[in-house]
Amino acid sequence: MTVDIRKKEGITILDIEGRIIGSDSLALKEIIDEQVDAAEEADAKILLNLADVRMVDSSGLGIIVASYTAVQKKGGRIALLHPGGNIRSLIVMAKLVTIFDRYEDEDEAIASFYKSNN
Amino acid sequence: MQPTTEQVVRLDLPSSMQHVYLLDTIVLQILGEMDFDEETTEQVVLAVIEAGTNAIKHGNQEDLNKYVHFEFIIQPDKIVVVVQDEGKGFNREDVPDPLDPANLLKSSGRGVFLMEACMDSVTYEKSGTIVKMVKYRVLTEKQ
Repeated sequence: MTVDIRKKEGITILDIEGRIIGSDSLALKEIIDEQVDAAEEADAKILLNLADVRMVDSSGLGIIVASYTAVQKKGGRIALLHPGGNIRSLIVMAKLVTIFDRYEDEDEAIASFYKSNN
Repeated sequence: MQPTTEQVVRLDLPSSMQHVYLLDTIVLQILGEMDFDEETTEQVVLAVIEAGTNAIKHGNQEDLNKYVHFEFIIQPDKIVVVVQDEGKGFNREDVPDPLDPANLLKSSGRGVFLMEACMDSVTYEKSGTIVKMVKYRVLTEKQ
């Protein structure tokens, strides 16, 4: 797994590539935590771009769920962009469809961060 | 490769999460040679990774002196994967349901559920220290 970090219109976008399996989940958690710490807690706006992720295991899914809820509790927000591969089916199987905010268009995803603050 | 007779691939892994990547590579290779379709392959890979992770973390407690033993039994119509750890075992009935609303947002506890969802059958033997999983090959029109 590799993660590139970029900023766009005040949103931190994590472009994740590869397979999130085994100890990758801990590495991903550290990266997300660093981004949350770098932002004002209530201002953490993070978009996880999963377009190039082919597989996530239960540990990876668990870290995404944990980060998602932790950031939300502090007033920030995480959204998912292009959840493809097996992630889409995992989200359905684990009954997390109504939990995650998912987008297929980057601009729409970015706009959603500002709509939700209104 | 579509085997006409049974073939068995055996693998003993030290109990480190670093070795989960080996599982990914090996299972992808075996299923590719068996002409499993992409979706079924991803399901089996995920189930083996989950079983291996449980054996390393919960079974062997990441003790590097303990091993997780894998058997990939390749048959014409299916693959049987047997995963054995050297731990104390577990009772399947004691594993909380991750689909229970109280557990939906928990960061862990989905491994057994995903194994069972991805495979055609999953059975537990020797107090849960052995997990036996079966996946049948989906025949395409060409086959």
